Amino acid sequence: MVHNRKKLIDLFIGNISNAILHRILEKAVEDEIIRNYYDKEFLNSLEIAKRYREKINPINNALKEASEIKDTVIKKVTNELKIRISKGYKNIDLGLVEFFTNQILNELKVN
Amino acid sequence: MVILTGKISKGTLMDQIYVPKERPLGFELGTPVVIKPLAEEEEIKFVYYNIDRLESVKIIMMQKIFSELNFADNVIITGSFLENGFQFNDIDIILIDNKQIDAKKLERHLNRIFDLEFHIISLNYNALLKGLQTDPLYQAMLSRYVAKKKLIFRYKNKINYKILDLHLLKSRPLIENFDYLTGNQKYGMARNLISIFLFLDNKKISNEVIDYNIKKLLKEDLISLKQNVIINKNLFLKEYNSLYENLFKKILEGIKNGSQ
Repeated sequence: MVHNRKKLIDLFIGNISNAILHRILEKAVEDEIIRNYYDKEFLNSLEIAKRYREKINPINNALKEASEIKDTVIKKVTNELKIRISKGYKNIDLGLVEFFTNQILNELKVN
Repeated sequence: MVILTGKISKGTLMDQIYVPKERPLGFELGTPVVIKPLAEEEEIKFVYYNIDRLESVKIIMMQKIFSELNFADNVIITGSFLENGFQFNDIDIILIDNKQIDAKKLERHLNRIFDLEFHIISLNYNALLKGLQTDPLYQAMLSRYVAKKKLIFRYKNKINYKILDLHLLKSRPLIENFDYLTGNQKYGMARNLISIFLFLDNKKISNEVIDYNIKKLLKEDLISLKQNVIINKNLFLKEYNSLYENLFKKILEGIKNGSQ
């Protein structure tokens, strides 16, 4: 079990980045049929992130590392998306990265 | 809502139904009630596909689930609920109908009845066929099920690399979060990874084939993995990472080469 704050924040960042990446790629697929299914997978990554968040104090207030976390998440997700764009992946909206990052960080009381 | 049952008995001037003096709340003297004949509830017959045995309590639960969802043309229960024991996280249901069905509303409704989590996918037969053609997890899901009607489909795999990219992401948390995940979560992620591998290799996907390949490719005993007592963590992670990276490269190449 992980107790170190920095390690917990790193793991938290990894999972919300995965969740945001998933949400953006899901939109790029543009297939109505699979949307229901992927909602669940998006939630899986988010659920793991939530469990890490519950171990990072203060649990109910903004974190002092909020700005650093936000920057790292945006950078990580953008890099992942750029790898795909460079391989010819179409319909990826990089503008969504900050939007979803803010949304999830607010939801998890990081900001 | 509490329901009382009784029998009509013969009286002198009028016939009557007796109710016990010790009654649940809501049945006080003077309360208006409805009386209607209690017709025997029709037992619902299921179609079992690739299922050897199922606990009797699950069969009772399924009777109730199917009766609640009987309006849909077909109802399919899949996933971990059908595995031995009670380690399932939620109950996966596929509803097939041509009408739009509010799956979230139904999930809440079933949750209220059973106090369990439900995950419902609602689609029509064409959409299901498309899912089976493009999605290894649909194939894995429908390799074992209980349904209202038997499913008969003929299809060939159609590789959509964007969908596979999304699938692969589901297996990613295992790499960074290994020590934090439960055995079932690890098994789910390994299962997903192997199903993508099999799909890209145009192999048949079923629970048995996936489990066989987890052992073969990830060098880990299935029971140890599910029980979260992985004997050789380093070897498992090495094999897992290597397979993950190979599949990711293959998917990106597929996207680069102009496939979907």
